[in-house]
Amino acid sequence: MCGILLANWHSFGHRRRRPNYLHVTVGVGVTVAIFLIYSSLNCMPNEPAPVSIAVFNFLFIFLIFPLEGPLLRKTFLLLSGNIVGLAWYLVKSSFGAASAYYLGVGAFKVLYVVMGPIIDLIWIVSVWSLGLSFLASTQRRNEKGKEGIN
Amino acid sequence: MSTYLARHYIFTLTALYHQERPPHHTPHDMVYQPKVSVLIPARNEENVIGRILQRMTELTYPKEKLEVIVINDASTDRTSEIAEEYAKKHEYIRVAHRKPEDGGKGKPAALNHGLKHATSEIIYCFDADYYPQRDILEKLTTYFADPKVGAVQGRVTVLNEPNTLVTRLVALERIGGYRVDQLARDDLGLIPQFGGTVGGFRRSLLEFLGGWEADMLAEDTNLTFKTYLAGYKVRYANEAECYEEAVENWRSYWRQRCRWAKGHMQCAFRHLWPLIKSKNLRLREKIDGFLLLNIYFVPIFVGLAWIVGAALCLVHPFPWITSLWVFIPVSVYSSVGNFAPFFEVGIGAYLDGRARVYWLIPLLFLTFLFNMLICTKALIDLCLSKITGKKQHPWAKTLHNGRGKSYLNTPRRQSPAISKQKVC
Repeated sequence: MCGILLANWHSFGHRRRRPNYLHVTVGVGVTVAIFLIYSSLNCMPNEPAPVSIAVFNFLFIFLIFPLEGPLLRKTFLLLSGNIVGLAWYLVKSSFGAASAYYLGVGAFKVLYVVMGPIIDLIWIVSVWSLGLSFLASTQRRNEKGKEGIN
Repeated sequence: MSTYLARHYIFTLTALYHQERPPHHTPHDMVYQPKVSVLIPARNEENVIGRILQRMTELTYPKEKLEVIVINDASTDRTSEIAEEYAKKHEYIRVAHRKPEDGGKGKPAALNHGLKHATSEIIYCFDADYYPQRDILEKLTTYFADPKVGAVQGRVTVLNEPNTLVTRLVALERIGGYRVDQLARDDLGLIPQFGGTVGGFRRSLLEFLGGWEADMLAEDTNLTFKTYLAGYKVRYANEAECYEEAVENWRSYWRQRCRWAKGHMQCAFRHLWPLIKSKNLRLREKIDGFLLLNIYFVPIFVGLAWIVGAALCLVHPFPWITSLWVFIPVSVYSSVGNFAPFFEVGIGAYLDGRARVYWLIPLLFLTFLFNMLICTKALIDLCLSKITGKKQHPWAKTLHNGRGKSYLNTPRRQSPAISKQKVC
């Protein structure tokens, strides 16, 4: 009895959420295009900017694009994230320049090199959360719509 | 750090794409409902004890197979009176009183007292401020049909989520911890943790392990590892939900987490070596156990890394330490590594179908910073107690005000989690 019970213990799975590989592929394509535009325009405000924007794009493609939701919305969110990232770096660069001038090189290094990535985390997490929020609301709206039809 | 980073991502992706199982089905749909005992330790819980006892009377588990034991841990308020009222009305509810000289020594001591009064083979434990689903015992008990399962843990959801910023952040932590972490551990055949409440144990195993250890602050983690070392498993039942009243302010958060951190570190010192040597555990369980035991040291290491990074950046003691050496690891961990827990929480909320909690996720950075201080203090306290030879760690009891009650049976003000998942 116990043998049968154990043998069947894991055999009653029924549903698996699958990543949307097509959306991921499109996301990779969009990101490559964005970086080609960046490099051709040479519009990065400072050195660490491409690193953090690349991190954001990587996370967004592999963590948001595979989820359920319209591709157009995901692409729009990815592009918006890149714009926010660039804007963030313009502001951060200004603060960096001000801190170097008023506080000295040491404080600038601590703020910019050590604290920089942590500060970057704030915009990356915020934009990512916002993206997830949009997708979740769309999904809920769709579910409600289906319930209404049924 | 990189291992923890990878761990977070593996757990999240597993929870996201795991094979969902139909809730609480036994193989061949057989009914497994042995006699069970529910222990409810209570010390000065007059605000909440009535609520959980009322819920016990509403459980769908057959009452002839149910035994509820309230352990009145020398309360000085109306806890005893309220519990006795319920005991008079319902014969399956009993009250075990502890003498004032024995009481107040913490939850493990109270639970051991309750265990002496329990008569069933399956022992469940619920905190007094919890509010379980009506069919929670059926959902949890089915797992015990597997003879290898020594303990089962249910899911904890925050009841008073909208009350304060702290309750909202705790709710997010709970989502990440249970909906993603515990579920993935269970799914990957690793070590799901027995959380000390909303869960049950085999009595025979519990007695073999010596019951709850009174000098351990994280008696749940301690029991989890003792269970695995004894060759049994802990299962996690995501569908078995219970609602808790979370701490509402930073002071209570600090006290509670300090106790957890200290207790977890105690467990790490005690179980790390037996875990590595054990022949009852597979390699992946050993790795997960190792990471789980050391998890409260991570915020300390991150804090140290920041301080050392800043110092090296300023001082440049050796020519080979350039800003690049400091910049690369700090960047990678801060950008990708630190993002992992946020991602875990976000995906947990997404899987729960939550809509308006995502804007709070960046604020979890506050709790991370807070935990850095908490873990450092806990480690210093533990080291000091080792040096001074003082073994007893006082049990800091969390006070419950019962305000979570307002979210029950009032549809307009229901917590988002509850309205979404429907308290049945």
